[in-house]
Amino acid sequence: MIPVCALADIRPGEAVRVDGDPPISVFNVDGELYAIDDTCTHQDASLADGWLEGCLIECPLHASCFDLRTGQPTGPPAKVPVRTHEVVVQDGHVYVLAVAVPVTT
Amino acid sequence: MTVSLPPSLLATLPGRFYTDPSIFAVEQERVFESMWFAVARSSDLATPGRFETADVGRESVLIVRGRDGRLRAFLNVCRHRGAKLCVEPAGETKRQLQCPYHAWTYGLDGKLVAAPNLTKMPDIDRVEYGLIPVHLREWLGYAWVCLAGDPPSFEDTVVGAARARLGDAEMINHWEVDTLDVGRRIVYDVKANWKLIIENFMECYHCATIHPELTEVLPEFADGYAAQYYVGHGAAFAEEAQGFTVDGSEGFDRIGGVGEEQDRKYYAITVNPQVFINLVPDHVIFHRMFPRSADRTVVVCDWLYTKEVVAGGKDVSRSVELFHRVNRQDFDACERCQPAMSSRAYAKGGVLVPSEHHIAAFHDWLTAKLA
Repeated sequence: MIPVCALADIRPGEAVRVDGDPPISVFNVDGELYAIDDTCTHQDASLADGWLEGCLIECPLHASCFDLRTGQPTGPPAKVPVRTHEVVVQDGHVYVLAVAVPVTT
Repeated sequence: MTVSLPPSLLATLPGRFYTDPSIFAVEQERVFESMWFAVARSSDLATPGRFETADVGRESVLIVRGRDGRLRAFLNVCRHRGAKLCVEPAGETKRQLQCPYHAWTYGLDGKLVAAPNLTKMPDIDRVEYGLIPVHLREWLGYAWVCLAGDPPSFEDTVVGAARARLGDAEMINHWEVDTLDVGRRIVYDVKANWKLIIENFMECYHCATIHPELTEVLPEFADGYAAQYYVGHGAAFAEEAQGFTVDGSEGFDRIGGVGEEQDRKYYAITVNPQVFINLVPDHVIFHRMFPRSADRTVVVCDWLYTKEVVAGGKDVSRSVELFHRVNRQDFDACERCQPAMSSRAYAKGGVLVPSEHHIAAFHDWLTAKLA
């Protein structure tokens, strides 16, 4: 499990980014937590710096939106989904169960 | 160089002050980039994300209302490779300002929000590499910016100009100018140096000749003494004039704070270097000058009325028409002078008659700035 932060440190409508390989961000949508890969699949930008509306996160660079529940982009320019990860809250702390990065050859 | 003049006359500036691009460049730097400059009507930027751009001196300035409701001004230049950030004169952005070149993206507070590969460059401070802020103050419902690092006192140089003319710092508040709405805006592209326009606005020696409608409403203007010649003097309306309108017909109710003593009077203020304000009981006429070159000045004139007048759809055309005619008459006169500024006949300048002698104070002020 990757430790993220204290539960109180992710306020509704905001995100916390965990630097790693790849970086992951956890979003708070009205108390519900979602974790996805932080980097937009179109160009290297942090989705945690984007704009959260409901369960959609809009990339700050070229406005592609990703559904936090599925990782699917809703429209161009991004075409490839971001990975989603399971979020665990234990004793007031937030953790992410990161999906293994697929091996690329 | 001393020119001996009869006591009735004072010298104007020499002709080259109105034509020489190198003098205009110094004015841009020492005057327009150093002093407070009225750029935008705050109500035109009413909601978060609304922005305007304006040239102030040699710089393009971006004025935008933030998500916190505050107006801010920035140099309109991307910090990355210098592309002009916003090219439109006005518009609305949903939540950020993005450079169209490499997509460096700034919040409405100027902070760098995102850029391609930014997370790989954690040493880039997002405030340090945010948009460069410009000082901004709001007064009379306008956003005034100052490009100087250390701006002159707003109270002394802007509010002070109204105090010096009206004789009282409080008096202008009677017109509640920040609460008024724009009933009409006309933009004039004047082919004349900005100083010709200021000088024209300051004197009324020309009034009886070129302003028949104005002198009809303000008979004392025919004597050639402008309201600006005096301190605290309001020019009285003609007895037969019911209002400050092109045909002397009735205007609207007095603006809330305007009292009996200011009723049926006209006051005029110049706020150096680029604002003229006219106050009459039922409206305010607010001119902003945007000097473009030594021989071209854009003048934006707002006619401001109470919300009842504007929202109520009342007919403002007769009061607009009066000063619109005055503006056209004045700007035609300025455009007639401009080509002659480079004539041999005007190399040493012209002269000011006694009713224009107060213009010499403007020339002294300017030459001190340029020295």
